[in-house]
Amino acid sequence: MLKVDQLVKKFGGMTALGGVSLTLPDQSILGLLGMNGSGKTTMLNCINGLYEATSGEITLDGVSLIGKSPHAVFSEGVGRTFQVPRVFHQMSLLENLSVALLNKGLSNAEVAEISAHWLNKVELYRLRHNYAEELSGGQQKLLELARIMVANPKLVLLDEPFAGVNPGLALLLIRIIREMPKEVGCSVLLVSHDLTSVYELSDNILVMHEGKVLAEGSAEVIQSNPDVIEAYLGA
Amino acid sequence: MNELLLQGLVNGIVVGLIYALIGVSLNVIFGVLRVVNFAHGEFIVLGAYAAYFAQAWLGLSPLLAMPLVFVIFGAMGYGLHFMLVQRLSRSNDPEHASLLVMFGLSLVLGALMLLAFEADARSLNFTLDPPFLMFGNIILPTTKLLGLVVAILVTGALAFFLYRTMPGKALRAIIMNRDAIQIVGVDLNRLSALTFGLGLGLAGITGILVSMIFPSFSPFIGQDYTLIGFIVIVLGGLGHPIGAVAGGILFGLAEQTAMVFFSGTVAMLLGFVLLIAVILLRPAGLFGVQNSR
Repeated sequence: MLKVDQLVKKFGGMTALGGVSLTLPDQSILGLLGMNGSGKTTMLNCINGLYEATSGEITLDGVSLIGKSPHAVFSEGVGRTFQVPRVFHQMSLLENLSVALLNKGLSNAEVAEISAHWLNKVELYRLRHNYAEELSGGQQKLLELARIMVANPKLVLLDEPFAGVNPGLALLLIRIIREMPKEVGCSVLLVSHDLTSVYELSDNILVMHEGKVLAEGSAEVIQSNPDVIEAYLGA
Repeated sequence: MNELLLQGLVNGIVVGLIYALIGVSLNVIFGVLRVVNFAHGEFIVLGAYAAYFAQAWLGLSPLLAMPLVFVIFGAMGYGLHFMLVQRLSRSNDPEHASLLVMFGLSLVLGALMLLAFEADARSLNFTLDPPFLMFGNIILPTTKLLGLVVAILVTGALAFFLYRTMPGKALRAIIMNRDAIQIVGVDLNRLSALTFGLGLGLAGITGILVSMIFPSFSPFIGQDYTLIGFIVIVLGGLGHPIGAVAGGILFGLAEQTAMVFFSGTVAMLLGFVLLIAVILLRPAGLFGVQNSR
């Protein structure tokens, strides 16, 4: 279970996160909504160690992630994707996945087997020997997702997985994300501007506004919350 | 004329592979750490002195000294990373900061070598029997041939490490995307330190090859090798380890074949003309990829 308690992140005089708390139970999906600049990506960066939190606590299954470097957070079972996929362009798809298994102590055959399973899952297996730079933006997002899934994470942080993805690949992404908690046993923190997908996938939704939690609840609750409608949905 | 040209081409390949090693080690460091190692040439000269004193004091042949020098220089690089290079990453502008710090280190190392070894040029007392091999009318000194074989083996071992082993793949992954490697569980600091160690270890081996193949070395020639290294990596592609091999061979061939027809100064100038031509026609270098990071 992920627990974020009173998380504060300041950049100089600007407060990006002003005491945010959330709980994400095991094998569930939490949607994170908010306008640009509301602190969603900053939250992900604090959880996975790219940013050092100013104050507050983040724990995963009782283990504090505060002060840990990104690679140490990964070792605790946290995988992460970015809005603009960060793949290794001049490596084959198989090599991209194998790098994430570097510290797992697996044999080459095991690495190949796990990589093949996830490349099949994201429907990129036929391109396994191609360089990542040959993939479309949407396919690179799928590759990035496969790269974190090979490591069997406990928690997956997805930053705008549907941005710039064509409808066909978006459907595939939705299917994979929906199956992840049951198939792998992980929980998912999903940041997206695609309201339909967030409503469809999330067990619970949290709306952020100017670095604070504006509302939390099911899709129905969020859609009917007057503060959310005024601040975010605009209707 | 054709035989002279052929001789120039053979020399070009031998010298080019030495240049390639200089470029590869410099490129690995730049690619992974974004550190412009202006002191690289001084470490190469230090490697040449290590071979000289290993022979003079321990009676070790340059070939036997290579693994020893690789390990010692590697350990020195690993330690130096934590003492010096890691601090640069905290700067607001690490690349420019590294340029200045490493230039300073280059001056310090040059001065220390001058103090310790004096200004006289030295040569390695290393000959093989027979001293020359004849291939038709082409003369190839056996030390150069041995240097060629060693350079090929070292380059091959490095390529195997980079493309076939997991740490090597992680190292290449850092070059491609520094942020992404951290979020897949690789300890960037540790791997950066290993890379700096690898770069200096290779510089040490290159120094031994330099002492075997070129007539002499002195504390003053470090910056010449640094300059050659930079030319080679710009030709091959900044940050691309294997691109430096192509860059080194190309530069070596251009320089050595030009020497057949012109003076050494003109040959060096032609090398720069080649560099400018590559920058104009392919700014990212022969193997470089634009906007890949």
